[in-house]
Amino acid sequence: MIAFEHVGKRYGGRFEALAHLNFRVARGEMVFLTGHSGAGKSSLLRLVMRLEKPSRGRVVVAGHDIAQLHASQVPFYRRQIGVVFQDHQLLFDRSIFHNVSLPLEIQGVEPREAARRVRAALDKVGLLHREKALPIELSGGEQQRVGIARAVVNKPALLLADEPTGNLDPQLSADIMALFEDFNRIGTTVMIASHDLALIAQLRHRILRLSDGRLVADEGAA
Amino acid sequence: MKSSATPRRQQGAALKTPRKAAAKPLADKPSQRGARSQQTRFSSRLRAWGRHHRSMAWDSFQRLVRYPLGNLLTMLAIAIALVLPAALWLTLDSARLLDAELDESATLTVYLELSTDAAQAQRIEEAVNAEQSVLETRLISAEQGMAEFQQSLGLDNALAGLESNPLPISIVVHPSSIEPVAMQQLAATLEAFSGVDEVRLDLAWVERLRNLAELGRRVALALGALFGLGVLLVVGNTIRLSVESRRREIEVVMLIGATHAFVRRPFLYSGAWYGVGGGLLALGLLGLGNHWLSLPVAALAASYGASFSLPQLDVTGSTILLSCSTLLGWLGAWLAVTRHLSSIRPK
Repeated sequence: MIAFEHVGKRYGGRFEALAHLNFRVARGEMVFLTGHSGAGKSSLLRLVMRLEKPSRGRVVVAGHDIAQLHASQVPFYRRQIGVVFQDHQLLFDRSIFHNVSLPLEIQGVEPREAARRVRAALDKVGLLHREKALPIELSGGEQQRVGIARAVVNKPALLLADEPTGNLDPQLSADIMALFEDFNRIGTTVMIASHDLALIAQLRHRILRLSDGRLVADEGAA
Repeated sequence: MKSSATPRRQQGAALKTPRKAAAKPLADKPSQRGARSQQTRFSSRLRAWGRHHRSMAWDSFQRLVRYPLGNLLTMLAIAIALVLPAALWLTLDSARLLDAELDESATLTVYLELSTDAAQAQRIEEAVNAEQSVLETRLISAEQGMAEFQQSLGLDNALAGLESNPLPISIVVHPSSIEPVAMQQLAATLEAFSGVDEVRLDLAWVERLRNLAELGRRVALALGALFGLGVLLVVGNTIRLSVESRRREIEVVMLIGATHAFVRRPFLYSGAWYGVGGGLLALGLLGLGNHWLSLPVAALAASYGASFSLPQLDVTGSTILLSCSTLLGWLGAWLAVTRHLSSIRPK
């Protein structure tokens, strides 16, 4: 599903965020990406999202070198990836329902169908009863679950998450991770950047460990 | 349910990108869609597109209404910029300077000496008519001349008090050629006739009038272009601010796959609404100005014994003004958003 081939990323010509990355993630796999802050986890995810292009090497997603995508094709590429952000990236002037339906709106899904799928996604994260609320009325854990609902509402084949449990207590974090495992179980490829080592150790999935932009360990590969 | 009813199919559809080489399927399910479902997909995309246009038009209208005062000021600025060139154009139009009829009146007028009587005038006209380069002639008696003069000035009573008719008998000559040189030659020939006092070449007058009209037209156009640019700037600046205030929203929707066209759309509608509002206000201002000036103008005209009414924008003129302002608003928004979008990158 994802293949990094000799990938390097420099910012501003000097700072080397990533270097000599080589790994593959199979379709349907669930992978944790870990390492101290500044190790390059976010940079790696940004490359997969095609927010940036690698300075060296190739990032291949589903058989295509995504650096080759024309700027006008990038939106269509991004629609196929669900992304959960640490700071949720919710729109605070819209209800939970409208936040979650945003990807469907962008894709032009027919409103009745969209409503059905938004409710299904909200139901999955246990927030169906809050659909009319504004994000500000929700707790941090609930906001994160809204972010997850938005990421999965168009049933992406690939789900990325950047520190999804960053500000949550252990119990909420475990709930969130369980949600990701559910999505993985129905065939979604999941890649989660997290430095919550205790939590990911319990979950027994593959772990890619980054340090100073290099891959230093690849544990528990299937 | 149509094409996107089941999750499976929707996934297949979502994996399709519009460019032929662009399909980057994350799920490598070779889809065997026939031409028919291609068509339904296309029509459903078209429907989705129309839906988004409708909802954005409505959404941007509501945003406009939500802050009535600020938006009204923007529209007023647009309206003022439009009123000035429009008013100038109307004035020129009312002075009949924009008339094409001017072209047809390239004639010579032969004024006979005041002592000439009707029979002599008749003979002179026949002689003039015999000239080769003369197409036709028309004899105007002193009385006719006076009547026409009064009519053309719209002064019914002012000349009635004159004791005797000061106008000579005249002959209007349509030359066969309206070339300036030929007309000048003809004028010289006619001037040599006995009993002819003066030959007036109307060409010069026509030429002068035409130049004046051209001058007025160009001034109006230049003003129109300048103020049009002003409208662009006003709308562009307003839209720039609203792009800036919705920056976060734009970043988020771009993160989850919105195209530039999608992001641009609500702002383009805002711009168009500004244009529509500005255009309507401009029409209102023109009407108001007309109403305000009509009384003194009518009184002034009446004191000269004439009747004159201020020009008003007709349906065509109003439509043109409104379409121009809408287009300008749209264009201003387009320029502002396009310039700005390139600087917004999702974080």
